[in-house]
Amino acid sequence: MSERRIPQSGSDTRSVLRTSIPRFGRLLPSVLFGVVSGGSAVALLACSAWLIARAAEQPPVLYLSLAIVGVRAFALGRAVFRYLERLSGHDAAFRQLAAIRSGIFERMLPVAPDGIAALRRGELLARFVGDVDELQNVPLRAVQPVVSALVVLLGAVVGVALLAPASAFALIGCLVLGVGATVLVQHAVAARAESRLAPLRGELQAAVVDQVQSLEVLVAFDGAAAGRARIDALGARLARLTRASASAAGAAAAIMSAIGGIAVALAVVTAEPLLASGRIDGPTFAVLCLVPLAIAEVAAAIPPAASAWRLGRVSAGRVANAVPGRVQPEIPVAPATPATAPAAEPTPAISLRGVTASWPGATAPALSGLDLELAPGERVLVRGESGAGKSTLAHVLVRFLEARGSYRIGGVEASDLDPGEVRRLVGLVEQRPWLFDEDVRQNLVFARDTASDEELLAVLERVGLRDWVLERGGLGARVGERGSLVSGGQAQRLALARAMLARFPVLVLDEPTANVDRARADALLRDLLGAVAGEGRTVVLISHVPVDPSLVDRVVTIADGRACTVAP
Amino acid sequence: MKPLDPRLVRRSRAARGFLLAGGALAVVQAAAIIAVAWSIATLVVGLIDGMPMDGLWPALAVLVGAACVRALAAWAWELVGATGAQRVKRELRGELLAALERHPGGIAGFSSARIATLLGPGLDALDDYFGRYLPQLVLTVVATPACIAAAWIADPLSGLVLVIVLPLVPVFMALIGMATDAVQRRQWESLSALSRGFLEVVGGLSTLVLYGRAERQARRIREVTDGYRRHTMKVLRITFLSGFALEFAASLSVALVAVSIGLRLVSGDMSLAPGLFVLVLAPEVFLPLRNVGAAFHASAAGVTAADDAFALLDETEMGDDATVQPGSSAHLAPLASARRLGTVLEREDATIDSPRTGLVVAGLAVRRGDRPVIEDLDAVVAPGSLVAVIGPSGSGKSTLFAALLGFAPIAAGEVSWDGRSLGNRGRELVAWAGQSPVLLAGSVAENVRLGDETADPALLERAFAVAGVEVAAGLVLGPGGSGLSGGQAQRVAIARAVHRLLARRLPLLLLDEPTSAQDAGREQALVEHLRALCDGGVTVLVATHRPALVAAADGVIEPAAARV
Repeated sequence: MSERRIPQSGSDTRSVLRTSIPRFGRLLPSVLFGVVSGGSAVALLACSAWLIARAAEQPPVLYLSLAIVGVRAFALGRAVFRYLERLSGHDAAFRQLAAIRSGIFERMLPVAPDGIAALRRGELLARFVGDVDELQNVPLRAVQPVVSALVVLLGAVVGVALLAPASAFALIGCLVLGVGATVLVQHAVAARAESRLAPLRGELQAAVVDQVQSLEVLVAFDGAAAGRARIDALGARLARLTRASASAAGAAAAIMSAIGGIAVALAVVTAEPLLASGRIDGPTFAVLCLVPLAIAEVAAAIPPAASAWRLGRVSAGRVANAVPGRVQPEIPVAPATPATAPAAEPTPAISLRGVTASWPGATAPALSGLDLELAPGERVLVRGESGAGKSTLAHVLVRFLEARGSYRIGGVEASDLDPGEVRRLVGLVEQRPWLFDEDVRQNLVFARDTASDEELLAVLERVGLRDWVLERGGLGARVGERGSLVSGGQAQRLALARAMLARFPVLVLDEPTANVDRARADALLRDLLGAVAGEGRTVVLISHVPVDPSLVDRVVTIADGRACTVAP
Repeated sequence: MKPLDPRLVRRSRAARGFLLAGGALAVVQAAAIIAVAWSIATLVVGLIDGMPMDGLWPALAVLVGAACVRALAAWAWELVGATGAQRVKRELRGELLAALERHPGGIAGFSSARIATLLGPGLDALDDYFGRYLPQLVLTVVATPACIAAAWIADPLSGLVLVIVLPLVPVFMALIGMATDAVQRRQWESLSALSRGFLEVVGGLSTLVLYGRAERQARRIREVTDGYRRHTMKVLRITFLSGFALEFAASLSVALVAVSIGLRLVSGDMSLAPGLFVLVLAPEVFLPLRNVGAAFHASAAGVTAADDAFALLDETEMGDDATVQPGSSAHLAPLASARRLGTVLEREDATIDSPRTGLVVAGLAVRRGDRPVIEDLDAVVAPGSLVAVIGPSGSGKSTLFAALLGFAPIAAGEVSWDGRSLGNRGRELVAWAGQSPVLLAGSVAENVRLGDETADPALLERAFAVAGVEVAAGLVLGPGGSGLSGGQAQRVAIARAVHRLLARRLPLLLLDEPTSAQDAGREQALVEHLRALCDGGVTVLVATHRPALVAAADGVIEPAAARV
């Protein structure tokens, strides 16, 4: 049996997180740059403190020259390597985002379009843009700075231990206490707020998209203010949560800043006996006292990393759940070993026996026990009340929806074929065709990319759009966002032209004249049916409005999910 | 990019209060920083000089106390920043949505994806601007001069070094900022392109699947994302330069101060205590400035988003002027005032002063973009009549409705009801159902009662009866109103218009292709119900290409015919 799990990687939180972290080779440069830069910061302060304290003892300048060079080198090194660290880190992190974004899309494909119809586009957009962007912080603010900081801290603590073991212990104690306390504070306050932050942000984005896309209706019905109030309420909830998480982040930074001062105080107290007993000299003492300031600054990178990781994990979870993890039973899947598809010529016969089909999440089937035979080259009109199952039939024929019972194309069970192969044989012009925000040519040519401009204009002529297109400056005319620059009827014609270019042997037209004026509707159907009939193509015309009976060979009426009447 | 956008401060009260509170906290922080540096220098020098620990406990107490005060002030600052960001965001979001509502027909240059990106992730970028960038900016303005002054008092030469190095930083920042501006703009555009590309691909997914083109789109998305990365890296290479300049200036001044102090100590020109004090203070002079640099990139995204928001607000305000012109300065003003517009109304035959003239359209011209859709249209519709608006697709049927609703600006001419100009306030008289149903998530009843939630429940049933809605009122629709067949959705949308008409006792009902998804029987039923409404005094305009509807009408309006 075929696989219902969606196979692409990135379907669970952990694998999304793993995808967001660059592989070792790509992560290494930024980690190393980070170590060198952090090390330089600590060394700069240590070197300067030593230089000043030693100079106060007024030795010959020669003894100071190495420290002077060191101070300058570390000053330069800190800035240069920090720049390189940020640059290489960002590049590596961004490269991973491309993989995650195309991953979301690839996981959508097996269930598209009917399996994701319930997802809000705004919600998907929020996940695709916002949440994926958030994932860049997993390597940038969580993994890489922590690794770099730990290496630097280890080196610094070992250095201090060589001079004054007691100070090293005090330092470790401060760091563990500080980092532990901040992580705990964040966990208590921020984690709860943050886990709700990303979903709420998605909800807000979805509400905004709904509001913006339904604006005409909302304004016409004075419902816009209510929608705005709802968005504002969501914004207020988001603000409260953001404040809670900012307060925890601020507390973390505050604790680390206080820890710096306390560590200095402890270093003074622990190193003082060594100085008094003469086991370390003045300059070393000054180094021991000042270095904790630089160390605390390096350690301050760790607490934000914990919150970046948590936020990243929430986003990763949302990215993982952006698309259903399994193909719903109502959606067809490709068989493990697809049968060979029947040839496109001669036109294959279609046979539906006892076909039952339902929409994902629906309680009752939309088609039940439907029988329908389509001889090659036949032109059949499918009639029926709205809601009778006409559109469901169209979706079954192009394998958007799974059919129980028997659906054969050219004698082969459609379920044994790759759904993509079926769609090469059976085409559909949808009730509300989608036009891409490109020009007319781009909207046609993807149906057959070898088509020349002459062929495109010829097919536009057949759907009665040639003059209209030429009037607008030819094939380069834009159609606007969601076809906003063309009327409903013209959009249908363009979609028809597209389907004719693709030369499907079986073509389903779902209410092609719904938005075309009556006078042209008959002419258009005549054009279309005439054009395809000569080439032996089967046409299924779905319509609830009367159609000139001379245009079709047969009329089928669907009611309650069954083809109950066959009229001449 | 300006360090602080004056428009943001001018527009937002929340932003102003936030800046004041921040200034006070910055003063506390500066004092604490100086106290920490003083106590460290006192402690180290005292102990090296052989002072006993007992005498130094006060200094130790000052060190710990000042470190804690500083930490608390920083925390409070963070809270103030987060609160300010949220307030400003809510203000801006509300203002933008309100501005959009004044232009439901759309705003040139702002696609709905662009607007959605602006209102979501765009405004979210202000979090970093207020939470990270501005606090550090205020701290820089307050704490940096205080620290420099303290260093100057301890050691004038070091103070001088800091004063010389410090101004280099804003110069660098200004140079880099200029270079960033252009790339930043492009990066923001490429983020919008990413959203738009994804919405296009998802929206058109069924079409792409039908033509076997969906798999290829994965590559397109990868390309767009990769383009986004390349744009972003281009920006970062430059914005990080500013961070580099700051960081370098900070390190450099520490190095300069340390070396110069060291050399003067060797020659005996100064003592250790001020030297150490200045050494601890020197990085603190640059710390806020360095943090400004680190927050620079994030804040730049926020500033660009704010820019976009202001551009949208400006655009809508300009648009407001354009829509307001034709006679609607006083809404529903008598048409007579429109005559003063001169050329607009030359024909005197349109008698308009009697109270029950119904709908009068005189010399109406409407443009969509630069394209004239309706030109010089005249029509008179008597009250209580049913009139069909006819013509081929694209001939201006929907545009006429948009003009009546005030969605499309009237370029010339006049529309009036009972002698009063509709201007752009037509919605107060008109109930409308558009060509596509556009239902919202929620129950069918909620959809139908949209905007009139408190109306008599009996009206709901009447509206259902008129439109022929047979689904349960409690049926809950999914996002975008999914869950109904095309025909059912259309009838619910008609019921919504009828409900508004009844609830508000409006005189005018506009239905755009109300039966395009209905069979002949339902069409007939709708005609009968509309007739009944007309008998009750309602005037009904139906844009249609269905002959049965046209035949049932009392008259026709043909927008295309007027164009010749």
